[in-house]
Order: sequence, then C-alpha cells, then structure tokens
Amino acid sequence: MSIINYASREIQFKIVYYGPALCGKTTNLDYIHKRINPENRGDLVSLATAADRTLFFDFLPLNAVVIKGFVTKFQLYTVPGQVIYNATRQLVLRSVDGIVFVADSQWEKMEENVESFKNLEDNLAKQNISIDEIPYVIQYNKRDLESIAPVNYLEYVLNNRKRRVQSFEVISSTGQNVFASLNAVSQILLHKFSKQSDVPKTAPRPVAIPVEPPAMARKENAAV
Amino acid sequence: MNAIPCLTIEDVANLDGVLGDFLQKAEAELTVVIDRGGNVISQFGDMTVMDVTIIAALAAGSFAATKELARRIGEVEFNALYHQGNGNHIFMNSVDDDTIMITVFGKRTTVGLVRFYSASTAQSVAALLKALSNTGHGFSFDASDITSTPIFAGQ
Repeated sequence: MSIINYASREIQFKIVYYGPALCGKTTNLDYIHKRINPENRGDLVSLATAADRTLFFDFLPLNAVVIKGFVTKFQLYTVPGQVIYNATRQLVLRSVDGIVFVADSQWEKMEENVESFKNLEDNLAKQNISIDEIPYVIQYNKRDLESIAPVNYLEYVLNNRKRRVQSFEVISSTGQNVFASLNAVSQILLHKFSKQSDVPKTAPRPVAIPVEPPAMARKENAAV
Repeated sequence: MNAIPCLTIEDVANLDGVLGDFLQKAEAELTVVIDRGGNVISQFGDMTVMDVTIIAALAAGSFAATKELARRIGEVEFNALYHQGNGNHIFMNSVDDDTIMITVFGKRTTVGLVRFYSASTAQSVAALLKALSNTGHGFSFDASDITSTPIFAGQ
C-alpha cells in the first residue's frame, strides 16, 4: 500500500496479473494499453526476453476516477509465469493491492493453473497477506480454443474457497472481458478503503461471466 | 474499513524542504522518494525530465533485483546503486526497510557529491516517514464517493 501525498493529490494502487506461463497476462496489458484513451495511460513497459517471454515484469500506469479531489492511479504489473522466476514474482508482489489471477482454460494447463495459484498463496503469505483478505478476481482465459475445460470445472478447481470471487470467461487476444475483470478488481479495491463497507455495490458473481457471441470468440487462437 | 496512510500538507512541506535542500547542495535535477513496491511517495525537482511513475517502478525492480547479488557476497543488500549514462545518471540509495530515494543528475555535478549529500538526506527522510507512521494519519472514502459505473473503458 502506497502513501497518499496531499500535495500531488494522487492515490496509487498496484494490481498484479498473476498466473502460469503463457496464460495471457502480457496480452491483457497489451490490450488495455491499445484500447484505453492515451490521455489516461502511460507507456507500457515490458522487460522481456528476445522471444517476448516476460523476464521481470510488464508495467502499465493508468489514471482513473477522481475521488474526493484525488486522482486514483492504478499501476498494472504482470509477473513472469515460468516456475524458475519465483524470486521475481515475490518482488513484483511487494505492496500489491489487488490481483487478477489469469488461468489458462486448456485441459493440459490445469495442473499449472493449480500450481500457480498455490504459488500465489505462498508468496502472499511470505508478505503476511492472506489470499482471503486481498481483493482479487479470476480470469478463465483462452475460451476460444478447442480443448478447454468447462467453466464449472474451473470454478471447482480454482474458485472453491470459502470466499468465492468474481470470475470471467476471457479471450485476452480479442479483449473479451479484459476490461470487465479490470473494472471488477478496481471496484473491489476502492470499496476496501471505503468507510461503510468492504463489499462492492455490484454483488460478486461466483460463476464466470460469459464471453461474447461464439463467432467473434473463435476467430483467433491462443493469447500469449 | 482500511485507511490509506497519507502525507499531510505539513508532512509534504517538511519533506519538500529536505529534498529541495538536497537538490540544491548536490546540484542534481530531480529526486524521488518511492516505496519498495514502486509507488511514488514524494518528488522534487524538474518533473519534465521523465515519467516519474515508470522510473519509480523500474527503480524499485532494479534495486530489488540486486539483492540476491548482494547476498552472494555476504551482504543483506546493496545500500546504493549507480547507473552511469553518457550525460544523465541515476543514483539510488536505501532510506529504510520500505523506502528508496532516487536521484537523477547530469553534467553539472558528480556522483561523489550526490552520494555524499544523499546519505544525510536519506536519514532525514527516514526520520520524517517514521514520525508519519507514528501519527497515524489515514485517508478513506465514503462508499457513496465510489460510483458503480465502470472505472475503465476501452475505445
């Protein structure tokens, strides 16, 4: 959590996109960067290898609503998904305020999804943060591919905790539900700091929000 | 309810006084105090030099990335880092366990001068931030301040 500076009248929040390798975290940020009004965003910074795999993190600063005269600034980060980069993931998670967990819907990636979620819990615990306390949403990405698990199965595997969170069926390469999931986590985050309630006005939906019509959804293949 | 820690106008004025004094003595262009998560706490100097938000994120990453390197030679972390360019340079030093100070400077000064004055400045900043955490100022919204309309929209 950052410190508010009354002189600059800004509030900063850090949102981290977390998930297994090649699940579409960078594609999420890429889409947001392309589609959001340039006046409300900074540059997308990617620290990647020559093969476009995230080495350290991607970073995208966004300006959002004004609350009580303060501009809210959301800083979006991704982590490197590859197992060997756990130390880097721990660094990026430092001072995190909200999380978008990006799961790969393909059957063959299910074990990696579960491992990555467990890794997220472990890394948060090292900062004395419980996954049950931090605002987060889940994306079921790559819903346009053939060999994907049904949503109820993904819910059972990844969203079966005491506190079930909002989840979204996403195709990050076409942008389906990319903004919906960002908006959801941002709303939960802002309400966390409101005086009256920790619960957003829009009630959390335990079941994934479906993608748009299939014709659009099946146009291109996997997000990277 | 969770309150966000905040710097009051008075806190900012005190911090600006320390940072302004440092810039004048070290003849540097810009100094930014950030937390180790990459968030900007305070900044002073020529803001047109760069996008401070991005510099803060990258500097926090750079500082953290060298921690393992420091461990290999028996240190907990490096207290300071220096990135030398052709005309512009960055010097970063640790303020406390949660805070880093970044200084950008050009040809008007030297790294030795920046390093010398940054040490005492870091101590002053640490003392100010420690006093802040003891006073317990906090900021929070009313739920009515937050609308349910989407915060972000794509074009």
